Amino acid sequence: MADIKFQFSDLLTLDSTKIVKVIALEGQLDESNVDDFAPNVYQLIESSNPGTKFILDIEKLSYMNSKSIGYISDWYGKIAAKTGVLIIAKPLPNIRDILNVVGLDKVIPITQTLEEAKNLL
Amino acid sequence: MAAKPIEKPVEIKIEIPTNAYFMSGIRDFTLAMIRNMTDFSEQWAFRFQSVVDELCNNAIEHGSSLDDKIYITFITHPNQDIQIIVEDNGTNPDHKTAAEIQQIMETNKVKDIVTIGIRGRGLAFIVDQWTDELKIEDRENGGIKITVRKSLHDPKFQTQLLENDPTHIVLT
Repeated sequence: MADIKFQFSDLLTLDSTKIVKVIALEGQLDESNVDDFAPNVYQLIESSNPGTKFILDIEKLSYMNSKSIGYISDWYGKIAAKTGVLIIAKPLPNIRDILNVVGLDKVIPITQTLEEAKNLL
Repeated sequence: MAAKPIEKPVEIKIEIPTNAYFMSGIRDFTLAMIRNMTDFSEQWAFRFQSVVDELCNNAIEHGSSLDDKIYITFITHPNQDIQIIVEDNGTNPDHKTAAEIQQIMETNKVKDIVTIGIRGRGLAFIVDQWTDELKIEDRENGGIKITVRKSLHDPKFQTQLLENDPTHIVLT
């Protein structure tokens, strides 16, 4: 079974009105674990204030399958519905490749660094 | 002693229980096999890893009951191509026919990327775009056989590697 670790944290910004939450993932997301993991993110989105911005930090994510991408796409829709923003940061080349092939890069901004992600918020 | 270069076609068959628990091992095997037994690049090794994962997930979820098995076959023709075949036994009460899977795939291809839903990107995007041939057939036992092929010398593949793909890494 693939292993996935996650951490949710708040990012401090100079603008105190701007709420930024970081979702950091480590390991692999696949058919064996994604359905168990996804509710944690839905809960985080539902409990967040309208306009909250999210950075999905996937620097340490080595694999993701198509269903995981489906969940990210769904999280994006729910965040946007609450006038929030979702940015994907620091994907490995193979993860970037799979995000590109399904066209997610056309919808959700993807940055190579956390700084770039912060600048987009 | 250095390993001899492989010149003859090699066929490897794997049978696994219908449980996603085993897929991380199959992905590791796919990555190692592409790296060590073919001339495909590192980038394509990762791509085939996804192709195999998506085909197997499809067979497990839509084609098989819980206590069944699926069958994966890798056929490598040195300096030519790789063929990957994934078969299920059609024991899932809701299993689909080849024509139905083809229809679902074609429908998903034209759907909006966000509204398509949680599922539907595996065959329609990942497998379809990262292979040259994709054949879906009904098996005599009621299961499905999906065969994909990727040529090492596909002109589109070469152009993409050299000009348009920033993530490509050439290992020498």
